[in-house]
Amino acid sequence: MNIKELTKGIFKENPVFIIMLGLCPVLGVSTQVSNAIGMSAGVLFVLLFSNIIISALRNFIPDSIHIPAYIVIIASLVTITELMMHAFAPAVYAALGVYLPLIVVNCIILGRAEAFASNNTVLDSALDAIGMAIGFALSLTLIALIREVLGAGTITLFPVGSFSGVIEVPWLVDNPFKVMALAPGALLLMGFLKAFLDWKAMRKAG
Amino acid sequence: MKKNLKYSLILLSICAISTALLALTNAITAPVIERQGQASRLAGLEAVSMGYEAGAQKVVTDDPAVTFMIELKDDRRTAGYILGLKGAGYGGEMTLVASYNTAGEILRVQLLSHNETPGLGKKAENEGYMDKFEGTGAAQAVPTNKSMLNSEDAAAVSGSTVTFVAIGKALEAGSRYVIRLGGKR
Repeated sequence: MNIKELTKGIFKENPVFIIMLGLCPVLGVSTQVSNAIGMSAGVLFVLLFSNIIISALRNFIPDSIHIPAYIVIIASLVTITELMMHAFAPAVYAALGVYLPLIVVNCIILGRAEAFASNNTVLDSALDAIGMAIGFALSLTLIALIREVLGAGTITLFPVGSFSGVIEVPWLVDNPFKVMALAPGALLLMGFLKAFLDWKAMRKAG
Repeated sequence: MKKNLKYSLILLSICAISTALLALTNAITAPVIERQGQASRLAGLEAVSMGYEAGAQKVVTDDPAVTFMIELKDDRRTAGYILGLKGAGYGGEMTLVASYNTAGEILRVQLLSHNETPGLGKKAENEGYMDKFEGTGAAQAVPTNKSMLNSEDAAAVSGSTVTFVAIGKALEAGSRYVIRLGGKR
């Protein structure tokens, strides 16, 4: 078992900030922390199973038809995720809206199938999927946390018992920077975070 | 030729297995989703009935925005109507139920289903979002563009203009439909 396959997706090859994959859903659903967690769970399920299935079938699927075969596998997994969430987690399903079916065209899924799962063992592909999904989840949750705190003055989680699921941030809840909740705010934040991480990486490299 | 046939059979087998898995998932989830839809619809109808006695549901086919109608009765007298409405939001069709008095004034509105963008059009789910429509439709026109709102309400729909207009137009069509009924079924 190669543990590097698991850890590389978290920092060194982070899908959002380093490889820059799957940015459309990252910018789209990062308005609330609960959306980010729900989307991350969906991506983890689809990425894990698509990597496992594609790796297991890598000697069975010829190169010339691998793209349609991968798309059928990924689309089926996304539809299964969508139906399961609709039935058993309706609040998360409603929150994710159109972004859930759009996991089909999330570049991370097809990108990892093409670049990794089609050339590696099932175990390594599963580790790669888990690492990439954790990296995606951390990045998406960080962006959603900053956007929601600044843009709405709240942190929306999931209601449990008497806890409504919404934490209000004093002052910001009455004076939010509304631009952060809108599309320009997502692009601005993504740019600033990417610049900050690149600056940190350059300093480390000397 | 032989190679093409082999490729076709491989793709066919992948598609067949995928279809079987999807059919199985659908068989498990469809009844649960159906029950949720009915519960949500019933809750929506109850929320807009204003305590009046609701009659039988009638399918409406002569208005593109109205899908069904339920008469509301207050001691045998027609007090108003609940209408099932649909509008074209940013993410596709939105469905809502609204109650009207016999003059076409909107009493209560409840959003049933939509596919609007989280953080933008999805704000229509928020408590108080429909307040700006309630009480309009008779003496006061139903707001269908932002210039008809006060500055606070206009700021609340900022970033979700398409959703707001879709709801406003559907409710306005409902109001016109009730006025056409003229207090009769």
